[in-house]
Amino acid sequence: MGGTPGGPIDTGQHEVEDWELLADAINSVLGAKGLQTTDELRRAIESLDHYRDLSYYERWTAATESLLVEKGVLTSGEIDEKAAELERRWSGS
Amino acid sequence: MSYRPGDRVRVLPSEKPGHVRTPGYLKGKNGWVDSLIGTFPNPEDLAYGLSGLPERHLYKVGFRQADLWDDYDGPAGDYLYAEVYEHWLEPQGGAS
Amino acid sequence: MSVHHAHEEAGARSPYAARIRAIETLLLEKGILTEPEVQDGISYMEARSPANGAKLVARAWVDPEFKALLLSDGKAAASELGMDPEHPAEFVVVENTPGLHNLVVCTLCSCYPRAILGRPPDWYKSFEYRSRAVREPRAVMREFGFEPPKDVEIIVHDSTADVRYMVLPMRPPGTEDVGEEELAQLVTRDSLVGVNVPLASPG
Repeated sequence: MGGTPGGPIDTGQHEVEDWELLADAINSVLGAKGLQTTDELRRAIESLDHYRDLSYYERWTAATESLLVEKGVLTSGEIDEKAAELERRWSGS
Repeated sequence: MSYRPGDRVRVLPSEKPGHVRTPGYLKGKNGWVDSLIGTFPNPEDLAYGLSGLPERHLYKVGFRQADLWDDYDGPAGDYLYAEVYEHWLEPQGGAS
Repeated sequence: MSVHHAHEEAGARSPYAARIRAIETLLLEKGILTEPEVQDGISYMEARSPANGAKLVARAWVDPEFKALLLSDGKAAASELGMDPEHPAEFVVVENTPGLHNLVVCTLCSCYPRAILGRPPDWYKSFEYRSRAVREPRAVMREFGFEPPKDVEIIVHDSTADVRYMVLPMRPPGTEDVGEEELAQLVTRDSLVGVNVPLASPG
């Protein structure tokens, strides 16, 4: 990435959303408890297919999911199910 | 391999796959050792849950910007520093 | 149950919002994490901000011994002011001088001294900053409104390992009579990364 051509820098700041704070916190806690290391997270982020399409915390979330699945802590299926349930609840259906 | 401050080094142009902490733009470039930062387990292995042992020396390495970029438009004294592990370095002029 | 109530608007919200909440819920249900742990994780980052960096800089400006400590052992200096730096990463402070101006970037992933300064700004994490800061630092600074003089050397630090950098900017001229607390207010977050210099004067 370093040295590749790039456009102007957007110096604006978006308001951090609750879920982004949560993504940050989950990673801190997983790290503090020795369930995930910084190096593993970096590697998982770099391995994402959609790296360039995702925002910073989207990358963290996707990488955390892939590590938890890799380590057999959770399955993608149960995350899918729970995420769908939450989306339904949020849209009031 | 152990280096001392001031040693002239070259970053290996290796295309090693997987997680590496040596940025592409430094590969094959000449610089100098500024200082030894410390000795750490290899993050390239830690990234896959391996022990990362034996520990490796991590050096702060300096580069002239003019040596990194053909089109660098700043003064000759503009430098860049990065941390590079010993196994990514060789003495300038090739390994003895 | 999630410890945080979400009020993100449906439609504008990233699909990853539901995924991280799902992950949180599942980890709590399985007893892998507890609610207090998650809450502490959130509070930890909320408690950290560039004001910490400003305090370190202002103290260094008025106290030469503290400045020497800050430059030789950043973590010890931070601890002295009641801050709790990251472990096991190193915290290194680099000094701007009349002949030298420092700029910090992490091209590989946006590493930043979060334990001291809190979350990095969006621009620091952008592909544009990460790709251009190493190659054209002066052009990048111009986008932040700072033109470094031609006779000042620019030193870029790419944090490729577990060293986190902060810049110790120069004290603005004419502030000899300004007290430490007011001095801290001149120290902007941008000046701690190196894309700009501190404000010139109070008020």
